Amino acid sequence: MSKFLAAGAIVAASLAAPQMAAAQSETVKQIEERGTLLCSGHNGSYFGFVEVNDNNEWKGLDIDLCRALTTAILGDPTKNQIVPLSWAQRFPALQSGDVDVIIKATGWTMGRDTEQGLQFSLPYFFGGAQLMAHGDLGVTEASGLAGGTICVEAGTTIERLVANYLNTENIEHNMVSYESAAELRSAYLANRCDAFAAWGPFLAVLRATEIDNPDAHVILDDQLSAEPIAAAMRQGDENFVDVVNWMLAALLIAEEEGVTSENVEEMAATPPNPRVARLLGAEPGIGERLGMRDSWAREMIAAVGNFGEIYDRNLGKDSPYKLERGLNNLWSHGGVLYAPILD
Amino acid sequence: MAVAEIIPPSRFETSRRLFLKRGFGSPGSLAISVIVFVVLGWIAWSFLDWAVLRAVWRQENVEACGQGGACWAVIDARHRLILFGTYPFGEHWRSALAALAIIATVVLSCLPAMWQARRLAALWVLGFASYYLLMEGSLLGLPQVTTDGWGGLSLTLFLFAAVVLLGMPMGLGLALMRRSEMPVVRWFAMGLIDTIRSLPLVTTLFTAAVVVPLFLPSWLEGDKIWRVIIAFALFFACYQAEVFRGGFQAIPKGQVEAGKALGLGYWSILGRIVLPQVFRHALPSTINMVVVTFKETAIVTIIGFFDILASGKTAFGTAEWAPYYIEVYLFVAAIYWVFIFSLGQYGEYLKRRMTLSER
Repeated sequence: MSKFLAAGAIVAASLAAPQMAAAQSETVKQIEERGTLLCSGHNGSYFGFVEVNDNNEWKGLDIDLCRALTTAILGDPTKNQIVPLSWAQRFPALQSGDVDVIIKATGWTMGRDTEQGLQFSLPYFFGGAQLMAHGDLGVTEASGLAGGTICVEAGTTIERLVANYLNTENIEHNMVSYESAAELRSAYLANRCDAFAAWGPFLAVLRATEIDNPDAHVILDDQLSAEPIAAAMRQGDENFVDVVNWMLAALLIAEEEGVTSENVEEMAATPPNPRVARLLGAEPGIGERLGMRDSWAREMIAAVGNFGEIYDRNLGKDSPYKLERGLNNLWSHGGVLYAPILD
Repeated sequence: MAVAEIIPPSRFETSRRLFLKRGFGSPGSLAISVIVFVVLGWIAWSFLDWAVLRAVWRQENVEACGQGGACWAVIDARHRLILFGTYPFGEHWRSALAALAIIATVVLSCLPAMWQARRLAALWVLGFASYYLLMEGSLLGLPQVTTDGWGGLSLTLFLFAAVVLLGMPMGLGLALMRRSEMPVVRWFAMGLIDTIRSLPLVTTLFTAAVVVPLFLPSWLEGDKIWRVIIAFALFFACYQAEVFRGGFQAIPKGQVEAGKALGLGYWSILGRIVLPQVFRHALPSTINMVVVTFKETAIVTIIGFFDILASGKTAFGTAEWAPYYIEVYLFVAAIYWVFIFSLGQYGEYLKRRMTLSER
């Protein structure tokens, strides 16, 4: 019902002020009135994306993106409120207004985009199902696993993906399902399976942290799927999607241009090129066209850093996980992340 | 010598003799006993070796973890997360006091001296009000913490106490309605009880947390935690109503008729004749329900609450502590055990107290 109201409000607004270029988003207006941004957290942690540190504070890649968005809209990274949600609960919670946006390792699928009434931002992370095998088998790709035993978590999309992939490639295999990730892990470590399948970043984190000798295990080259991970929003507020998209774009542009949390003020004072000048609000445009402050990107980068800094801190080289950038690097460094044009 | 024969052997002596005779009387039972004791002893020893002798206790010594002993350092480092969830770090004393308020409320409600409607009502209002004021904080001039930030043991205890205290009177009400002589009331109670009982708890809670706000007007919506408590209490009440119904059925009709013949009203018969016996009959199953409910509070994790089990999972949900999940689960299990064992012991005490009149 609130969806209809929101849709009605947008129709009314567009009839009343068709000439306004910088229409402010309804959601942003609510956030400003409330004074806090409601983001999704996870009860029970999700390595590198959502965690809680020893001082009971949230951290992780998804949390930092939420902080970035909070700074962009409200000018203060501490003004967000993380609402812990389970996987099943996240979409209904978004529709009922318990959160403003879902940034929670959520894949962009057609069903979610259409039937579930969601809108997705630019993807900010790419990860898919992969296989990890014992190093002493000497395999580097899935074809080497012919006749072997592959363990998966029961009832997940991964289970179906593995079966599809291996059957299409005509690789004979025995599949064993386990109820929980912990069981699966101990079965694999006890050599009851030759390989085990899971979400790529999860495998990498596991290999880096929980296995005594990481070199004794290989993550195979085969990408069984590549899921674009994006922020999800309620349908019907296009302007809010613009805000989230440009928040992500600004983080990527900052990385491309070498703008970091440390040099951002310098760069804003003496921009090396017109693109940086526009990004940091030295030339007007980036704020007004979104109905926001011209300084939003500058404040955001000062608070959380550019995309590379966020990645390195939570998943990459400055984190315990040491996850390679891989696909999640800028296009200019062999990845698939790129920003739209800031004109 | 004669004296020794007359005095019966002590109970300890009897069971010791019985133990020796049954366990070691014949070569076969001797062999089985020895094997069982060796295996048990070996298990106990390996556990002791793992959990105590080779364990690492302090956070500073975390490097020594993972070499065959338990890593209790994870508890040292993360116990505040397990106990208080994501409640702001500097405000943990509030969460701890609030948990104590709930424990005190429950313990006091269990004392026979408190069993008067007025005293119990005052106690519960006081207990829950102090919990809310401490946890939420803004009314006491402390920094506000919204219910999203509540978690850990404090939240588990609060959910449990609120569900049982709300659900118990509701259950009694439903049981009475189900016995009503007015068909509409009876059918309503039967319909409600059977509907709720035929739905899984997860569905009921999910509906209350997620679906209800989609159609309720926002002023009636309230906070998620209250909706969940009400739904959980309703679920508890429907089962408890059936427990009470068993108690009612055990009372011979003649007692009520005798009461009526003496000219007593409905409430007098109920309060002075029927209910005291109903409670006694229903006691074992009620204790069972209460214990089950304590454990079932963990299910709120699926609607995003940070109960103690979810906080525990979060505690090992980071690279540094990920390998030590067994230690965290054991810690949480020990906490559950303390509370549930106490509840069970209290049930035993009540049973003894209530059967005194029958001896």
